[in-house]
Amino acid sequence: MSGYDRALTIFSPDGHLFQVEYAAEAVNKGTCVVGIKGASCSVLAVEKRSILKLQSEHGGNTSKIKMLDDHVWLAFAGLNADAGVLVDKARVECQSHRLTIEDPVTVEYIARHIASIQQRYTQSGGVRPFGLSTLIVGVDPHDVTKQPQLYQTDPSGIFTAWKATAIGRSSATVRTFLEKHWTAGLDEDAAVKLAVKGLLEVVQTGAKNLEVAVMGSDAKLRILSTEAVEAVTKRIEDEEAAEQEKKARRKGAAAAQATA
Amino acid sequence: MEVLFGITGKDFALLAADTNQARSIVVLKRGEDRTVDLNRHTALAYTGDPGDAIHFTEYIAANVRLNEIRHGHEASPNAVAKYTRNALAGYLRTRQAYHINMLIAGVDKTSGAPALYWSDHLANMTALPFAAHGYASYFCMSTMDRLWRPNLTLEEAIIVLQKCVAALKTRFVASLPEFKVKVIDKSGIRVIDVKFEK
Amino acid sequence: MEYNGSAVMAMKGDGCVAIAADRRFGVQALTLGTEFQKIFQMNKYTFVGLAGLASDVITLSDQLRYKVKMYELREERPISPETFAHLASSSLYEKRFGPWFVEPIIAGLDPKTGEPFIASTDLIGCINFAKDFVVSGTANSQMYGMCESLWEPNLGPEDLFETISQAMLNAIDRDCIAGWGAVVHVITKDKIVTKHLKGRMD
Repeated sequence: MSGYDRALTIFSPDGHLFQVEYAAEAVNKGTCVVGIKGASCSVLAVEKRSILKLQSEHGGNTSKIKMLDDHVWLAFAGLNADAGVLVDKARVECQSHRLTIEDPVTVEYIARHIASIQQRYTQSGGVRPFGLSTLIVGVDPHDVTKQPQLYQTDPSGIFTAWKATAIGRSSATVRTFLEKHWTAGLDEDAAVKLAVKGLLEVVQTGAKNLEVAVMGSDAKLRILSTEAVEAVTKRIEDEEAAEQEKKARRKGAAAAQATA
Repeated sequence: MEVLFGITGKDFALLAADTNQARSIVVLKRGEDRTVDLNRHTALAYTGDPGDAIHFTEYIAANVRLNEIRHGHEASPNAVAKYTRNALAGYLRTRQAYHINMLIAGVDKTSGAPALYWSDHLANMTALPFAAHGYASYFCMSTMDRLWRPNLTLEEAIIVLQKCVAALKTRFVASLPEFKVKVIDKSGIRVIDVKFEK
Repeated sequence: MEYNGSAVMAMKGDGCVAIAADRRFGVQALTLGTEFQKIFQMNKYTFVGLAGLASDVITLSDQLRYKVKMYELREERPISPETFAHLASSSLYEKRFGPWFVEPIIAGLDPKTGEPFIASTDLIGCINFAKDFVVSGTANSQMYGMCESLWEPNLGPEDLFETISQAMLNAIDRDCIAGWGAVVHVITKDKIVTKHLKGRMD
C-alpha cells in the first residue's frame, strides 16, 4: 500500500467514481418512492417495507416518510440505516436554522443542505457515500403561493426540483409512466391517483403495501389511512377493468364486422 | 425588579411574568413577554440578563423540539425541567455561564398532574407547589404560604395571584402594572387575561 | 457553601449505620422548599449525603450514580462504601481548582462482611474516616457538639436512630439556614428504615 489508494472514493481511469455508482445501485435496490406535484398539493407514495410475520410493528421506525420539521417531510429509497443518520442531520439543521435565522428552512435550503452532506461523503477520507436518494416535500415559510414543492437528492450530492419523479426499484419505469401521464394543475384526488397508479406499475402487492402522504398548502402532511389507499387502488382497478372491457368489446365488434 | 410567579392547581399550572423591561431605574419597554413555550404542555418564564435569557431559552426550546421530532414523543415537564437544569449547570463553570432564573411549569399530558420547577442562575432547582422569583419571593412567599392549598381551581389560583400582586402594590417600591399569565392544562398552553387592581 | 444551607450527618452503630440530613431548600435566608433531597442511595448498602450548593448536590449525585452503575456493570459486584468513598474523593479532586461546592458524607455496610463504614470528605476530596460519627454542612459545629455529647459506642439500630435524630433536630434548631424537617436512614444488614422527622418550621 503506498497510501494514496486507500481512499474509498477515487476516480477510475475513465472518470467514474465507483463508490458513488455502487451507492446509486443500493438506491435502485431500495423500495420505490413516487413524488408528484399537484396544483396546490404534493404527494409522496412509497412502497412499504414488508414487515415480517413475527416482527412488531411499533418497534423501531417502520415508516419511510419522515418529518424534518413541521412543514418539511422526506421520503427515501435505499439503505434504512443510512437514512436514520441523514435524517437526523437534517432535523438538527432545521432547528439550528430556526434558532439562528429565526425562520423555518425553505424546502430548497434543506434539499441543498442534505445534498451537500451527501456530496461531502463522496469526497472525504475514511467514509463511504450514503446509499440514499431522497424526495423532499414542503411549503416555504413565506411563500405567498403556498405551493408545496418537490425536490430530489442523490448519493452523488446533486439536488433537483421536479414536477413528478420516482426513486428506488424500477424507478425508470415509473418515471416513464409519469412523463406520459403527468399534467399541470392536478387536484389532490388526481395527484394521489397518479402517484398510486405510478407505483402500482412496479408494485404487485396492492394497497396494504403502499403508504401515501399528501401535503396541502397548509404545509401539514396527512398520511392516508389504509382504507383511503384501498379506495384509490379499487378505483384504479375498476377503471382499468372498464377500459379492458371496452377494448374487448371494441375488438369483438371489429371481429364481428370482419366476419360479416 | 423583575418578578415571576408560578402556582400549581388541581389539574393545571399557572405562570405569571411581569412585562416591564427595565434597566436600572428606567423602564425601557412595557409589554415584554418573558415566557416561552417549550412544548405543548410545558412553558417557561424567566428573569435575568435579557441577552443570556433569550439565547438560552431559544436554545432549550429548539433542543426540546428536536428531541420530540427525533423520538416522536413529547417530553414530560419533569424531563424538560431536568434537561434545562443540566444544560444550565453545564454552562455554569464555563466562561459563558448564563445569568437566567426560571420557573418551568407544565402538566402531564395524560394524567393532567401539574409540575412546577424553580431554578436560579446557579442551576439550583427544586419542585415546588408555588414559587416566585425576584423581589416578589421576599414579599409573596408568605402570601402564598397562607393562601395556597392542594387542588386549587383556576379561579382560586387567579385570586392567589391577584393577592400576591396586591401585596407587591402595597409594599414594593417598583410599579408592575401588567403581567403575562399563562395557564397550562391537558388541552395545552393558553394566555389568560387577569385584571389586577390599579 | 452558605448559599443554600444544609446539615448532613452519619453515625456508626453495632452492625448498623445511620445517615441523616435536613430537607430545606432555600437561597440564603429565604426558604423556598422543604422537600429537597440531600441523601442518595447508591446501592443496597451504600448511601451518600451531599451538603453544600444545591445545584452541585444535584449534578454530583447524578454523576456519582452514573459512576457507581458503570463500576457495578464492569465489576459485576456491588461497590463497597469504602471504595465509593475513594470514588467520590477522586471525583471531587478532579475539580481541584474549580471545585464542586459540596462536602459529602458516606455511610454504608460492607456488602461482604456487613462491617459498618462512615466517612466524610471536604470539597476537594480529602477523606476523613471515622469510627464514631461524621458531620457536614452549615450546621456542622452544632452537629459536632450534639454528636459529641449523645453518641456512644455499640448502639443498636433503634438506639442509633434515636441518637442521630436528637442530634440532628437539636443541631438544626440553632442554624437559620438548615432544618425545616429531616430524613433519617438506618441501614442494617437485612433492612433499611427510612423515617421523616418533623422539625421547627420557623
